[in-house]
Amino acid sequence: MIIKIEYLEVRYGRNPPVLSIDNLSIERGERVAIIGPSGAGKSTLLRTIKGYMRPSQGKVEVMGVNLATARRRERQPINRRIGVIYQQFNLIPRLSVARNVLCGRLGLTSRWRSLLGIFSAEDHAIAWSAICEVGLSKKAHQRADTLSGGEQQRVAVARALAQQPTIILADEPVSSVDPAWAEDILELILEVQTHHQATLVMSLHQPDLARRFADRIIGLRDGRVVFDAAPASVTDTRLKELYRGHDSLPLNDNATRSGKDQTRSA
Amino acid sequence: MPPAPGRIKRAALKYTIIGSLAVMLIWCWIGTEMGSFDLVGSGPRIADFLDRMFPPDLTWTSSQNRPFAPPLRIALTTVAITLQISLLGTAIGFVLAIVLGFLAAENLTPHWVHHPLKIALALLRSIPVILLALLFVTAVGLGAVPGVLAIGVHSVGMLGKLFAEEVEGADGGVWEAMDSAGANWLQKVRYAIWPQVAAQIYSLTLFRLEMNIRESAVLGLVGVAGLGLWIENYRRAFDYPSVATLVIVTMMVVLVVEQLSIYIRRKLK
Repeated sequence: MIIKIEYLEVRYGRNPPVLSIDNLSIERGERVAIIGPSGAGKSTLLRTIKGYMRPSQGKVEVMGVNLATARRRERQPINRRIGVIYQQFNLIPRLSVARNVLCGRLGLTSRWRSLLGIFSAEDHAIAWSAICEVGLSKKAHQRADTLSGGEQQRVAVARALAQQPTIILADEPVSSVDPAWAEDILELILEVQTHHQATLVMSLHQPDLARRFADRIIGLRDGRVVFDAAPASVTDTRLKELYRGHDSLPLNDNATRSGKDQTRSA
Repeated sequence: MPPAPGRIKRAALKYTIIGSLAVMLIWCWIGTEMGSFDLVGSGPRIADFLDRMFPPDLTWTSSQNRPFAPPLRIALTTVAITLQISLLGTAIGFVLAIVLGFLAAENLTPHWVHHPLKIALALLRSIPVILLALLFVTAVGLGAVPGVLAIGVHSVGMLGKLFAEEVEGADGGVWEAMDSAGANWLQKVRYAIWPQVAAQIYSLTLFRLEMNIRESAVLGLVGVAGLGLWIENYRRAFDYPSVATLVIVTMMVVLVVEQLSIYIRRKLK
C-alpha cells in the first residue's frame, strides 16, 4: 500500500471540510484517475498526498510515513520521490529544456554546487535519458518558452522523471494542452509510469480520457468519494449523477472544446 | 442615448481637481515671489554672465597667473573620479539590494522579515543623495569616500525596493514546482525566481548607474571629489570660461553614458 488514507478531513480555516474521505488506499503501480465537477476537491486531494495540505483530521500515509504527524526531516525524502506534473507546466521560461529538466535533480544533488549552476555527471545522465524518453532530444538546448504547449508539458514530464519518482501526481495535465495533443501526453505519462514502475494519480477534467487511460477511477463530489471503480463499471448514468447540477457533462472531446477549460494557447 | 449615470458627480470631481491645482500653483507663485522677478531687467545680467563664460577655456598649458590648472587637464582626472565614485557606489548598492530586496519580497519571507525591511529601505531612499553626502563628509571627511557611501546607501534603498517588486511579480507556479522537486529555499530563489527577474534587475541597475553618474557630478558642491568640486572651485575664482568647459564635459559624459545604457538595456530585453 503506497498511499493510505483513513478518516481524512481537510479544511481551510473554520470552513466546512473541502475533503472528507473515510478510506482510500492506492497500491504500488496503480493508475488512478480522479474525476469530478470543479470544486470537488480533486486538487486538494493531490496536494494532501504531496504534503502541501496538512490534514485537519485523520491519517495520510505515503510510503509508510504519516504526513500528518511526520517531522519535516521525515517528509523531505518522501517529497523528493513524488514528481508533480501541473496544468500550467510551471517551467522556467528563460532556461533551456535541459536546465529545466536538471532542476528536477535539485533535491537530490549537491545543494551548494547547484546554486552555482553545476550538476554532477550523474544528474546530467539522468536528465538526458529523461529528455530522450519524452522525445525532446533534438530540442534539449532550446529555451523552454519557445516550445508549444504540448512540448512544454513533455519537458515537465521529463523534469518529474529526473526526480526518479516513486509516485507521479498529475493535476489536470492536459487541460492547458491543445486537445489534439492531450492523448499523446497521457500516453507518454502512462509509458514513463510503466517504465519507471511508478504509481500514477492524476486528476482529469474529461471522464472520457479517464475511462481510457486509467485502470481505476475515483469520482469525487463535494470532497467525498462517490464511487471508486474500474473504468468499465463507470457508466454514463454514474457520471451524470457525479456531475449533477454542474456545468455540462464533459463526456466527449467536443464537449471539452466548448467547455470552460478550452485550450489556453501557451 | 440616455445620459451616463454618475456623470454629474464625475464632472464635479474633475472641476474640483482642476480648481485645487490652480489654487496650489497660485500659492507657489506667491511663495516663490515669481511676481517680482524682472525677466527683462535681468536680461543684461544673464547676457553678461553667458558672455563671461564664452568662449570655454580649452587651453592645455598651465600659466603662472592663474590659481588652478587648466580645466581640460582637471577634467581628465575628475571625470575618472566621478565615474569611479558612481560605479563603486552602484556596485555596493547592487550587492546589498540583492540581499535586502529579495528578503523584502512578500512571497519569499515571512511578514516579520519583509515588513521591517521594506520600512528600512524606504527610510534609506527618503534621504536625497546630496544630503547623505553632506552627512558623510561631516562624518568621514572630504574626498571620494563620502560620495561612494552616499551613492551606495541611496542606491540600496532605491534598488532594494525595485528588486523586491520584481520578485513579487514572479510567477509562483515555478516556485511550487521547484519545491516539489525537493529544492531548499536558496535553490528555489536561484532557479524559480532569479531566471525570471535577472534581466530586469540588470536593466534597473544600469538605469540607477546612469542616474548615479549625474548625481555624483553634483556632489562636489558639498566637498566630494569629482567634476562638481572643480566647477565650484572655478566658479569661486570667477573663472567662468573654465566653468563652461567643465559643464560641457559633464554634459558629454552624461550623454555618452545614457546612450550606452539605453543600448545595453535594449540588448537585455
